Amino acid sequence: MTALREAIAAMSGTVDRLNELSREKYTNPYEALATWPDSLDATADWFTSPELSTLYGTPYWPEDEARQRELCFHESANFFSLNIHGEKALMQGLATRLYRPDLADIADYLHHFLDEENKHSVYFGTYCRRYARVYRSRHVPFPGGTDRAVEDLLFFAKVLIFEEIADRHNVLQARDDRLHPLARFINEAHHADESRHLVFNRAIVRAFWDTYVPEWTGERLTEIRKYLNQFFTTTWREYYNPDVYADCGYDDPWDVAEAAWQAPAQREHRRQVSAKCLRFFTSTGLLLEEPADVR
Amino acid sequence: MSAELTAELASLREWVADRAKDLPPQGLTDDLPLLEGRHLTSLHIPELIQFLERISRRPIDVENLRPGDFRDIRTIAERFLEAS
Repeated sequence: MTALREAIAAMSGTVDRLNELSREKYTNPYEALATWPDSLDATADWFTSPELSTLYGTPYWPEDEARQRELCFHESANFFSLNIHGEKALMQGLATRLYRPDLADIADYLHHFLDEENKHSVYFGTYCRRYARVYRSRHVPFPGGTDRAVEDLLFFAKVLIFEEIADRHNVLQARDDRLHPLARFINEAHHADESRHLVFNRAIVRAFWDTYVPEWTGERLTEIRKYLNQFFTTTWREYYNPDVYADCGYDDPWDVAEAAWQAPAQREHRRQVSAKCLRFFTSTGLLLEEPADVR
Repeated sequence: MSAELTAELASLREWVADRAKDLPPQGLTDDLPLLEGRHLTSLHIPELIQFLERISRRPIDVENLRPGDFRDIRTIAERFLEAS
């Protein structure tokens, strides 16, 4: 426990700087929402960069541009829905760790983290409910079965994977001037906060890892690595949502999802988007090799 | 058992066998506890749900799922394949 407190204390410079930035950048999401339109035209504008569509580069990518835009609109709602579900689990995990004695030194930042995630969900939820729908998650909550040290590491490592992948989409789309201004705004607003969360996540994952890895057996490390490998796959799989393809009129949405997942262009896309995140995981030793689905 | 169900069950066994780890010496059986025995993890469930939807050609109501629904291959088949 002392070793963890020391590792957390060593993050204090980073955490103090992040606290200061969060206070400077504090926003009221409802001011932005007041300017949002009542409706959007899914076929008139781009809401996802076409190259980021899960069907881009596959035989299922529509020839007609209006249908491409419609697909990209539903994919934007799916992307925001993934973030809603991901942030819900994230907020639960952060709230659980608030004011835990061994994490007391980061309590102030956990408050900012929670506040900012909640605000993102306000944006995502409003977009999905006003213009499209909240796509369901296929995750089923299960009670945790491991010890607290492992759960802490896995929680922040999963947050890091999820947010790194989402953030890459945000960065690319925030600067894509083909996108409707609202889609660019949401991606930009999310990225602005996520860039701080990612700094924090990398620091805390490293703190947990460096503290606990000397105590863990090879068997436990293998289990952790397999779990993280699987999390990469699970996270990416949800981008290929049959419900989106059904909304766009594809006859066999589950087959479309499977074919898109297997498509070489999409495998390469996942590899490129995951590259930065994977560099962190392999450089720290958390992963010994890149997961097969993004290799 | 209908030919359709037999084919779906075979696909399900193949899907689980491809992903399950640390199988016992007798191999994968229909009553092997998949999650309790840690042969699969909760992270496999979203992909499993999508796979079951694909072979049964109908969406699964995720809101009404319980961990026990994925106990073993027999339970999964009874819960998600036989009613289709």
